[in-house]
Amino acid sequence: MNLTLISPELWMTLLSCVVLSIDFLAPQFSKKGLATLSIIGMALIMLHLVAMTWFGVQGTLFNTMFVLDPLAIFFKIFILFSTILLLLASLDYVDRLPHFQGEYYYLILFTALGMMFMASANDLLSLFITLEFSTFGFYILVAYLREDVKSNEAGIKFFILGVLAAALIAFGISLIYGDTGTILFYEIAKISPKISIGLVIGLLFIFIGIGFKIGAFPFHAWIPDVYQGAPTPVTAYLSIAPKAAALCLSLRIAFATLSDLKPDWVWLIAAISIFSMTYGNITAIAQKNMKRLLAYSGIAQIGNILIGMAAGTKMGSDAVLFYLLTYLFANLGAFVVVIIYSNMTQKDNIDDLSGLNRRSPLMAFAMLLFLLSLAGVPPLAGFVGKVYVFLAAVEQGLYLLVSIGLINVVISFYYYLIVVKKMYAVEPEEMTPISLSIPLRLVLYAGIIGVLWLGIWPKPFIDWSVSATHIFTHLMSQ
Amino acid sequence: MIPLSYYVVVSTLMFVIGLVGVLVRRNFLIILYSIELMLNAANINLVAFSHYLSSMVGQVLSLFVITIAAGEAAIGLAIIVVLFRKRATTNVDELNVLKW
Repeated sequence: MNLTLISPELWMTLLSCVVLSIDFLAPQFSKKGLATLSIIGMALIMLHLVAMTWFGVQGTLFNTMFVLDPLAIFFKIFILFSTILLLLASLDYVDRLPHFQGEYYYLILFTALGMMFMASANDLLSLFITLEFSTFGFYILVAYLREDVKSNEAGIKFFILGVLAAALIAFGISLIYGDTGTILFYEIAKISPKISIGLVIGLLFIFIGIGFKIGAFPFHAWIPDVYQGAPTPVTAYLSIAPKAAALCLSLRIAFATLSDLKPDWVWLIAAISIFSMTYGNITAIAQKNMKRLLAYSGIAQIGNILIGMAAGTKMGSDAVLFYLLTYLFANLGAFVVVIIYSNMTQKDNIDDLSGLNRRSPLMAFAMLLFLLSLAGVPPLAGFVGKVYVFLAAVEQGLYLLVSIGLINVVISFYYYLIVVKKMYAVEPEEMTPISLSIPLRLVLYAGIIGVLWLGIWPKPFIDWSVSATHIFTHLMSQ
Repeated sequence: MIPLSYYVVVSTLMFVIGLVGVLVRRNFLIILYSIELMLNAANINLVAFSHYLSSMVGQVLSLFVITIAAGEAAIGLAIIVVLFRKRATTNVDELNVLKW
């Protein structure tokens, strides 16, 4: 047994336990110190993963339950990077929490660990456990503000729907197991051309469960409420990392395990994609709250990502990975602006952002870039991501899907630009400049650099996505 | 010997009762019980299949499902207690602060 394969997770477990123990045994240890420790630790683990890519370490563990391949490494680095940015962004926020400051960092680390395992899950048992593992932390984090009615309510709504999704997945797994006699992905792949009713129902249940986690259209109901009620840094985290990890799982299931059944699932994903985009964009227009607006825009963005999945080719999976990178920078950046703003003023309505340019030109400019990138304006990251996804679909002749996607891009311009207009054209109610702390500045700069770099010179990242998905080479279109 | 189909029918019934409970009942605690019922339907299936396929995988899976159900109950009850202190209600329909 080669434990090197699982070493990033082992280090991460150690790190989170150390953070918890220090917080518990030495309460006088500064909470900023805990955050610094977590950030340095995760940066080292990220370097470790980069080194593993360099040396080409890969393989499976525990009877193929756990797999480490370039795809898993890509998502692990993605998750660690977003966690680091998020911890930097939440330093000020945690300072003002009345209680449980240390546990916040521990819970974030632990959910990140769950999602790292999720990127490597390679059978139905590890799928179920890792999905639950990462969601458990989020149940607590969403309901973290004990004295805040909104946070409590968001927590209970998230909990009920999350557990319901878990129950559906468990039942689906039991049906697949009964039908095929196995829970290993590669053995299901061997059986899958002989499709039967138990397998179909079981896969549908698992599909619904993953749909809940990524917040695609018919399973999106929890997203706006939870995003609005949860503490803003948690919302930012929730909008990126779990979606990426769940997409990794769905890529593994759809592209590797069920690739022979492609004609049977393509239309399903295409339909979900169309509805997610249209519903998300149209509902976003009516929103008054910035977090809710970003929630609906997130549903629409998932629709865009699913266009790449619906293509069902190697290029489609590359596009999904690249799109996730662009989404990471733009969406996290937009949330960071909301975090800074609501830290200052305790408000997060769109109207409150009025005249932001007068109060903090850097924040307004950053928000402008992030929103335009989400909308897909050249030369920003979102544009390249959208073009990539659309090209993958056009290559497969999904013209209807692409044209609906293009119409939706136009709709999305409207609500992103309304926010931009408020920031630049409306006079603010008060003129006091907003001061930014160093960590928050760092995150903003990281977001700006990311959005510009991925837009202007995307080649290294496209190459990375292409090499990360080499396990889907059998789907290469001729 | 009891045929496999009996187990599947019972577990499906339990699953449907649980699902209907989640959708129809308005009390947190009863919703939580209903979800436990759904998870246990999966357990019955797993153990029955495991017996008929003569493989141990299903039983191991069901142990994990039980563990996760226990964790869920702990977190869920904690959230409900926090909410009850603040709002003194266990009715989900009264949770209407967040809406569009």
